[in-house]
Amino acid sequence: MISAHAPDRRPQARGDSGPQSINDVADAVRTAGHEQTPLRIVGRGTWLDAGQAVAIASNSLELSGLTGITEYVPGDLTLTALAGTTLAEIAEATAAHGQWLPLDPFGDPRGTLGATLATASAGPLGGSIGLPRDVTVGLTFVTGDGEVVRGGGKVVKNVAGFDLVRMTVGAWGTLGVIAEATVRLRARPEVDETVAIALPDERDAVATLLSVVRSASVEPLAAELLSEACAERIGLGRQGILLVRLGGNSTGVLHQRSTLVNLAECVDVPHDVWSRLRQSDPVDVAVVRVSRRPSELARLWSAAMLTPGIDAHASLSRGIVRLRLTSPTPLSAFDAADRRIIEKAPAEWRTAGNAAPPVAISRRLRDAFDPRRILNNGILGEESP
Amino acid sequence: MPSESTLARQLAAIVGAKHVLERPAETFVYTADGLPGYRKQPTLVVLPGTREEVIQVVQLLASLGVSWVPRGAGTGLSGGALAEGAVLLGLHRLKRIISIDAENRVAVVEPGVVNASLSRATASYGLHYAPDPSSQAACTIGGNVAENAGGPHCLKYGVTMNHVVALTVVLPDGTVTTLGSADGEAGGYDLVGTFVGSEGCFGVALDATVRLTKNPEAIRTLLADFNSIDEAAQAVSAIVATGIVPAALEMMDQATIVAVEASIYAAGYPVDAAAVLLIEIDGLAVGIEPDVSRIDAICRAHGARSVRIARDDVERARLWQGRKKAFGAMGRIAPHLIVQDAVVPRTKLPDVMRRIGRIAEEHGVRVCNVFHAGDGNLHPNIAYNANDGDEATRVHEAMRKIMKLCVDAGGSVTGEHGIGLDKLEYMPLIFSEETLAAMCRLRDVFDPHRRSNPGKVVPMRSCREWAGLPATR
Repeated sequence: MISAHAPDRRPQARGDSGPQSINDVADAVRTAGHEQTPLRIVGRGTWLDAGQAVAIASNSLELSGLTGITEYVPGDLTLTALAGTTLAEIAEATAAHGQWLPLDPFGDPRGTLGATLATASAGPLGGSIGLPRDVTVGLTFVTGDGEVVRGGGKVVKNVAGFDLVRMTVGAWGTLGVIAEATVRLRARPEVDETVAIALPDERDAVATLLSVVRSASVEPLAAELLSEACAERIGLGRQGILLVRLGGNSTGVLHQRSTLVNLAECVDVPHDVWSRLRQSDPVDVAVVRVSRRPSELARLWSAAMLTPGIDAHASLSRGIVRLRLTSPTPLSAFDAADRRIIEKAPAEWRTAGNAAPPVAISRRLRDAFDPRRILNNGILGEESP
Repeated sequence: MPSESTLARQLAAIVGAKHVLERPAETFVYTADGLPGYRKQPTLVVLPGTREEVIQVVQLLASLGVSWVPRGAGTGLSGGALAEGAVLLGLHRLKRIISIDAENRVAVVEPGVVNASLSRATASYGLHYAPDPSSQAACTIGGNVAENAGGPHCLKYGVTMNHVVALTVVLPDGTVTTLGSADGEAGGYDLVGTFVGSEGCFGVALDATVRLTKNPEAIRTLLADFNSIDEAAQAVSAIVATGIVPAALEMMDQATIVAVEASIYAAGYPVDAAAVLLIEIDGLAVGIEPDVSRIDAICRAHGARSVRIARDDVERARLWQGRKKAFGAMGRIAPHLIVQDAVVPRTKLPDVMRRIGRIAEEHGVRVCNVFHAGDGNLHPNIAYNANDGDEATRVHEAMRKIMKLCVDAGGSVTGEHGIGLDKLEYMPLIFSEETLAAMCRLRDVFDPHRRSNPGKVVPMRSCREWAGLPATR
């Protein structure tokens, strides 16, 4: 179940050889604790390079065998699944009832629910309904001491006790190995369509377009800017594009679409552009997200566009530009105060990020939930204790 | 610990003598919050007026090893702001809206800002603050952050946690730290999400950066009335299943309707109905009517006797006033009211409602149900006379059974009111000892000496078991 590997080398997920139950996970973590051997937590192994490489030699704890939907009552619009369950499996099960889990992180749909929540990975739907912190209502996780903890519950509204769910979502497995999660679902909108608006060439015109769209009478499910290279990569031709995803009843969507048509020239694009965009990260590039408050997106975007041929896309409502880079040079176009978060990058790029130094509370959290630094040690770029 | 008068002098040196209350007549109002039947005497009450004063007060109390209980407007319903043998730290004087950034739809507010006043202040920008607890005319944003407050419109827009972007807090050791970011992604642990809902046990918020929500272009409010609670509950499930997310989906039973209609808040609810649903749809103007028609049809298909759509804002406001003031209206029935709060999976609503009715009957108590049906968040309230010992015993027994019922149905013991003091006994019903110990650990990360709002949220027994462990790990 545990295989040794050198730091930064990618272990291969091996199907059903790992833990098969939550108790197995707890046993594995306890054993690792006794032996003082850190663990690298692995879902399906599809996103291993998403996130900073584990700098400290570790054994991998593979959760690809910890799989299955344990409870799904469509009328409750909630679903509970073990951590190794893939987003694709969840999509299939929920689609049969006209429902969906609105998490669309960038990466392979064979990625797991556990990894998505652990890394708080959000895709284009993150600007409306798709943030992991908002959809997770309950979590079972195993602390660095091997204790099984169940935070939250199975209902969609719940304030009982301190929030162990929000604490763990986005903690990259460093406060606990997510073993099972309950998420809230949505019914699929009656109509779900996407239009593309070609971006004007001039910087100021882009800024104007963004502010006009932002204040227009539309409520998009997603609105994403694509650079020329990014658009070309997903088969939309080599031009800068604003993709807008509209959902709702047919009357409302028709109206929103005509609102957009009155603002700019719109072209219908096939719905699968979103899955193509999600899966379009080239192998062997670094991914860095740059963000400020949403009103500064036009400035961030034009800074990104200073690099000819740059492969980038950006969320209109979240104000985040996601850059796919082969060199850190384009980052120099941004202000020092622009937040730069490294999604994946070679170790020597670490200085390219400027995530705020963790507050003392973060370190104390780690001390409380993983005192021996068994879980994903080094993944947050931290020093070993 | 210094004598109380010494402590009072030291606090007065920070906030001014008139903002330190010691005499029983002055502190009386602070001996209770919104939870009836409890009075706890704080050692004294301190009311800082600025952020600097809050920091200095907390630093002083920390240095003296004195416990305190933070308090907003004292409208909480779980006893979270009760202080026994502790200093009560009132934050309602910090009521400045520091900034409104309409373009990015965020506002920075001090903790004492009243919930409804933020929406009033942002109305001219076409924005509002979405979480709308029934006490919104009085409750503070700081209190909302502590309790992760909800409200009817949280069905569509989410609870307080979904609307807080960043917090500046003074931790119980007196250090000031910023959690989250309103200026780009924060990165790191979700400390804002962890802090929101910590019921005053993790420290005191000095300011909160909260999201503002665009006012909807159009709003439609429907009132559907039914011959049985069961039919109304089935209609709720059917509406939820459509994919239309109503802004609010509220249910009131006959006992509530009768109480409201007999009060000054009479909203025109039909008093012969077994239950009414108050349903609000909002969003873009074009596209709203098909959703309204669909929901109207669903209600009728599930046995609604009539479906009324508010013709204008006046009628809409009246329909809502009855709902929001229902707790007040229940004052007509009996002198005391337990406003209960629990959550069940939405498909269990019809069954749970039937069983609640049976429990009430068995115990000879009068339950009034008025609640957020759309997310399964029940408020089975009991109006009674707390001074009648026999009745009080029956009421508490019925409440325990209702809580157990909701837990057995896969639910939770609180959806928006918090655990506070009132629900400590129910925590072991839904959480294992390991999970309760993990909560104590989390508390200790923020407040290792357990000075901020001691004795709340997690039963002390669980924390004592945990307490001996860390050093040996």
